[in-house]
Amino acid sequence: MRRKQILCAQQIVKVVVTVALCILVSTYSAAGSDQIPAKPQDHTIALVGGTIHKVVGPSVEGTIVFDGGKIIDLGANATIPEVAEIIDVSGKHIYPGLISADTYIGLIEIGAVRATRDRTETGDINPNIRAEVAVNPESELIPVARANGITMMVTSPSGGLISGTSAMMMMDGWTWEEMTFKAPAAMYVSWPRMTIITAPWFTRSEEEQKNERDKSLQELKDAFRNARAYMTAKKAEAQEDVPYHDVDMRWEAMIPVLERTVPVVVWATEVQQIQAAVAWAEQENIRIIIGGGYDAWRVADLLKKKNIPVLAGGIHRLPMRRFEAYDESFVLPAKLHDAGIQFAIITRGSPASERNLPYHAAMAAAYGLPKEEALKAITLYPAQIFGVADRIGSLEVGKDATLIVTTGDPLEIINNVEMEFIQGRKIDLTSRHTMLYEKYKEKYRRTKE
Amino acid sequence: MTSHPVNCPFAILQVFLVLLAPSQRAAGQTIPVEGIRENTPTVYALTNVRIIQAPGKVVEKGTLVIRDGKVESVGSVTPPADAHVRDLKGMTIYPGLIDSYSDYGLPKAPEPGTDNPQREERKAPEPRGTGYWSSAVMAHQHADELFRPDSKKAKKLRELGFTSALIVPTEGIFKGTSALVNLADGKANEQIVRAKVAHHIALERQRGRETYPGSLMGVIALIRQTLLDAEWYQKAHQAYDEDPKLTRPEFNETLAALQDVITRKTPIAIEASDELDFLRAHNIAEEFSLKLIVRGSGHEYKRLDAVKATQRSIVLPINFPDVPSVQTPEEALQVSLTELRHWDEAPENPKRLHEAGIPIALTSATLKDQETFLTHVRRAVERGLSKDAALAALTIMPARFFGVDKQLGSLGVGKVANFIVTDGDLFDEKTKIRETWIDGKKYEVNPIPEVDPRGGWIVNIADQPEADTIMLDLKGEVDTLKGTITKKKEAKLTKASFSNLRLSFSFTGDSLGYPGVVRMTANVAAQNLIGNGEWADGKTFVWSAKRTAPFTPEPDTSKPKTPEMASFPPVYPHGEFGRPDLPYLPDAVVVKNATIWTCGSNGKIENGDLVVKKGEIVEVGKGLKIPSDALVIDGTGKHVTPGLIDAHSHMAGTGGLNEAGQAISAEVRIGDVIDSDDISIYRALAGGLTTAHVMHGSANPIGGQCQVIKMRWGMPPDGLKFKGAPPTIKFALGENVKQSNWGDRYITRYPQTRMGVEQIMRDEFRAALDYEKAWKKFQKEGSGIPPRRDLELDAILDILRGGRFIHCHSYRQDEILMLMRVAEDFGFKVQVFQHILEGYKVADIMAKHGVGGSSFSDWWAYKFEVYDAIPYNGALMYEQGVVVSFNSDSDELARRMNLEAAKAVKYGGVPEQDALKFVTLNPAKQLKVDHRVGSIEPGKDADFVVWSGNPLSTYSICEQTWIDGRKFFDVEEAHELYEQTQQQRAVLIQKVLKKTKDKGKGEATKSPKRGSGFDHSSLESNLKEDQP
Repeated sequence: MRRKQILCAQQIVKVVVTVALCILVSTYSAAGSDQIPAKPQDHTIALVGGTIHKVVGPSVEGTIVFDGGKIIDLGANATIPEVAEIIDVSGKHIYPGLISADTYIGLIEIGAVRATRDRTETGDINPNIRAEVAVNPESELIPVARANGITMMVTSPSGGLISGTSAMMMMDGWTWEEMTFKAPAAMYVSWPRMTIITAPWFTRSEEEQKNERDKSLQELKDAFRNARAYMTAKKAEAQEDVPYHDVDMRWEAMIPVLERTVPVVVWATEVQQIQAAVAWAEQENIRIIIGGGYDAWRVADLLKKKNIPVLAGGIHRLPMRRFEAYDESFVLPAKLHDAGIQFAIITRGSPASERNLPYHAAMAAAYGLPKEEALKAITLYPAQIFGVADRIGSLEVGKDATLIVTTGDPLEIINNVEMEFIQGRKIDLTSRHTMLYEKYKEKYRRTKE
Repeated sequence: MTSHPVNCPFAILQVFLVLLAPSQRAAGQTIPVEGIRENTPTVYALTNVRIIQAPGKVVEKGTLVIRDGKVESVGSVTPPADAHVRDLKGMTIYPGLIDSYSDYGLPKAPEPGTDNPQREERKAPEPRGTGYWSSAVMAHQHADELFRPDSKKAKKLRELGFTSALIVPTEGIFKGTSALVNLADGKANEQIVRAKVAHHIALERQRGRETYPGSLMGVIALIRQTLLDAEWYQKAHQAYDEDPKLTRPEFNETLAALQDVITRKTPIAIEASDELDFLRAHNIAEEFSLKLIVRGSGHEYKRLDAVKATQRSIVLPINFPDVPSVQTPEEALQVSLTELRHWDEAPENPKRLHEAGIPIALTSATLKDQETFLTHVRRAVERGLSKDAALAALTIMPARFFGVDKQLGSLGVGKVANFIVTDGDLFDEKTKIRETWIDGKKYEVNPIPEVDPRGGWIVNIADQPEADTIMLDLKGEVDTLKGTITKKKEAKLTKASFSNLRLSFSFTGDSLGYPGVVRMTANVAAQNLIGNGEWADGKTFVWSAKRTAPFTPEPDTSKPKTPEMASFPPVYPHGEFGRPDLPYLPDAVVVKNATIWTCGSNGKIENGDLVVKKGEIVEVGKGLKIPSDALVIDGTGKHVTPGLIDAHSHMAGTGGLNEAGQAISAEVRIGDVIDSDDISIYRALAGGLTTAHVMHGSANPIGGQCQVIKMRWGMPPDGLKFKGAPPTIKFALGENVKQSNWGDRYITRYPQTRMGVEQIMRDEFRAALDYEKAWKKFQKEGSGIPPRRDLELDAILDILRGGRFIHCHSYRQDEILMLMRVAEDFGFKVQVFQHILEGYKVADIMAKHGVGGSSFSDWWAYKFEVYDAIPYNGALMYEQGVVVSFNSDSDELARRMNLEAAKAVKYGGVPEQDALKFVTLNPAKQLKVDHRVGSIEPGKDADFVVWSGNPLSTYSICEQTWIDGRKFFDVEEAHELYEQTQQQRAVLIQKVLKKTKDKGKGEATKSPKRGSGFDHSSLESNLKEDQP
């Protein structure tokens, strides 16, 4: 039997080089110990002989060189400094690190265990909530996700109407502070359900549902009106004769939103929510991103006209309505692409399964989205949407050396990530899963003896 | 049909009195008279009237003679000399209508309330002292005992033309017996025509998470067990009567009450909430050879042939759906084609059933607004139900169903004088019911005026010159009179009214030479009237008038309505993506030149051919000879695999697949609740799935009996079942069964620990062995009190005797090991561990035990017991020799099982062909159907999938899915079906909008289907999909 020991660090790193700098602890001896964060890149690294999928522009066979966490050269004729550690990746493929544009890794470890849930604060209006401060760097979910190429994540709070702000985090670091890449990344609003459910199993009356919806919409409007009043008052303090106004943490946190420096991800699934959210954003003069966007294609013209991006997904989801095509959610990204709407693909799934993000993208590709677009939807596009495309999302000189080395297209399940760098730091690809795997392989090795 | 002499002495009294003493009023004979006796003669002759004696039996102009509450004669007969004669010219007499399902005069079931059953614990009421253990079994209730006439409600029913009703107790699964009652005022004694007509059953699950039965399959299991217990009760008591030295069997009033059912003296009536419930009701009756009447739902037309094949009678509600809410394009998005089509087609349900030869009786039951009953009946007639059929369904059919056709349902000599008087054709929307007669007593609804003031009158006003001819012309309706008064010029009457023979009106008289407003009143007789008036100046006058012309109604010039019939022909299943017929079965099918993953001994064949004949694989290989009549599929560039198999699914079931009400529910059967219309079936087909193991949930250590199905989209539930698949049963271990994640309230049901789980299982296996011993003893000795059939222990015994196979939900290695050891102690093998996320820790022991492992490919961390789940689980078990499958446990994941297989390659390097077996041959082995499916090998069912590329590639899509040699999915056809769906929606939405334009705002359609957002809380998918 051919047995590929995929994630065993010793085997994947084909070191051809002078300096053998394997910081990885063998998974063997690491059983019982956890993954150790990587050291900052302290020497130049050149990956030689692989196919470089830059994401922007055509792929090239050649070398990628990075130092100080940044890509300093790449291409068929890239210059390899003499001091560089040269890693032969012949036959391998190099991609930018995958970006999860929405997850809650670090905020919930085990869904059913209340003590491990830190994602949903009580109350409806929580703009001052910051996701990054509760991200547990020790979460076992982090190494599992990054082992499949996810190098960056936007981890977000949930619940209520205004849930707080997310942060873009690197999937490696000793503390949440070290992991944080950009915070706040966005503010989160859950748009109230606009439709009335009349199914017999639903116990709330039409009237109750309408009241609830109207109340929520009012609450949301009030929050923004109050925040704006607060901002105006605070700014006026600069003038003479204007008294000091006590700080309101909630409205303070909304100033960057009102000033359009921080976008708002509005979770909106169906048409009426999306339409209402777009109208509202226009009125409030804020930047929004539609999250989920199941029905976004039905209002594609509007989104295109207003230049509103969509975090589309999950792609692996059942059609919402009986009359919809079986592939309704599979074809959403293709439709958005055809309509010229900016989008990223997200999973909307359990954080423990975030490693399957590339397969959501692949499903979109199987159902009409060009393959290269599917790849962009989990690399360059989320970087653009969250305003960090100057640093990550593609392989270009000057950008972060946040990349993965794979056996092939990462959107194909059967391919594997063999090496990973975040800002040039070489990442341990072991996890709770590989450790248990090794442990029990050992059990059966012994049984054989 | 006769009443049971022991249980219903009253009914028999009724029957005797009716038959033997026809000259007596059939009631009240035992009640002492207070005060002076009333002896007004009760002989009536209604003459000059159109009489519909029975559907199709019409006397155009005749007389109906009633004496003492019964029909004495009918037709061209001379009124008897002692009769009170009434001329009913222009009127029509129909037999009194029978409401075939009513709660009239019975206590209402307690309101279910608006509490969310998922959160609110509701305890069932305590059972009665000598009743059945389950408080939902209330067969000891009798409508005749509970009945209290309610004059207000009786009046309302009479206004609808009802003279009798079948009244049915309102509570319970076994609700007790019904009674056929008249709707007259007076004592209950006088109203009951027949008691204990049928035993009624509602397929209604009980609320509350720990209340049994909490699922439809639990309800059916309880019905089954109750009927078995009733049979046992009879035998046990018989044995005891013969030999009182035996252990005394329990007394049980509920089981005693059911004796008439099991001896088939009394029929059962089952309330079905849709057409699939109808078939379920039939299956129950078939199983016990019972007489059955189905209280239908209005959805029967959706499976007309299957309904017809049952040859059952239907009591049919006519609650046609409300107009769907499609006013805005956004609102319309919430309305499915199924709902739109139901709105469009439901009014034709009575017609279609009748024309199919299915006996129907109509009822006002389930109507939101009972007063719309006749409107609904008329709609059914407008939509094609013949008037005779409609009348029959309201009269003679229910009378036959309920065994009272000798007394009720038609107007023959000797029949009870229950009838209605209308002023026209009952099914014409303008027709009013004038009188309702019950037991020969008249109840006025819209009294027939004794005198009709309408027509022409010549007026004489005292003191006015006779030469001035004044004409009065009255028209319109009697209760909303209109008219004119003319003296050379014409003036319109204002405020004309007529009641109690008194006419009044006023008019502005200026043009007639009478200044101001003139007011006039008069008493009207047939040919003349006389009255008073007052001029504008206050002076009064006397006037009279003589009739010049009788009233002749204006001819109806409105065009007869041409009903708009249903827009689209039937498809199966009803609504979205249904087809008129099953996909065609070609004699031979060949896939040519494809990459064939046989999952059998031939491995993967490049450029291979597959030959299928009559639904069976006959050959697979290279360069095969192609039968001349074969349908050839060019497989160039395509890949072909066996149909995918999901060893763990919860699709295609209804009414809850998790009977959580008891720790052991081995008696419940998924097979009872297959939902062939579940759209998940179609969606799964689109992902290449052909077979699924539909499983009970994991709320209890021993769950229910599971069902293997094939995705034969379009067939009725029984057609989906995989015939010959050996029986299976769900077991479960760990957090779910010890209620770890149910909330703080659930801390008392045994077991609460994994230790307790082991003990309750051992206890159950022991009990089954003892049960078997008891049966063997009884069979050997042939005497004594027979043991009671216990469906729960039957299922457990099946396991011990190798006839039923355990599929056990499991996670942790300790519990996995435990169950294997328990099984070994009892001498059997566990068939499959489901989920089995720590199987990799004990894979060697599993291999030795011989148990299969059906795992999630990569789920983990959704609860504590899966924190050690790893995606290498499949590979490690595989390497140790365990037969491994990957399952979905999710309707969504079930659509891409091929990609789950790819994860076995990714995590642990399982060779590609073996990985594909994780979703084909291996689950087939686990379900013991690998002799039929799971690989592409000669002799097996032609279940296969054509893929656009390598099935393990994320970029490949399923292009065709074949089952039994029929193409159940085709990506091209799917596009057509989709377009057709959208087009039909558009047409029907336009139809709705046209209707609502006429009638104002429409109401939302309430879907009659059971909610699916209910009761699945212990299914794993809820925990996994921890979405906001």
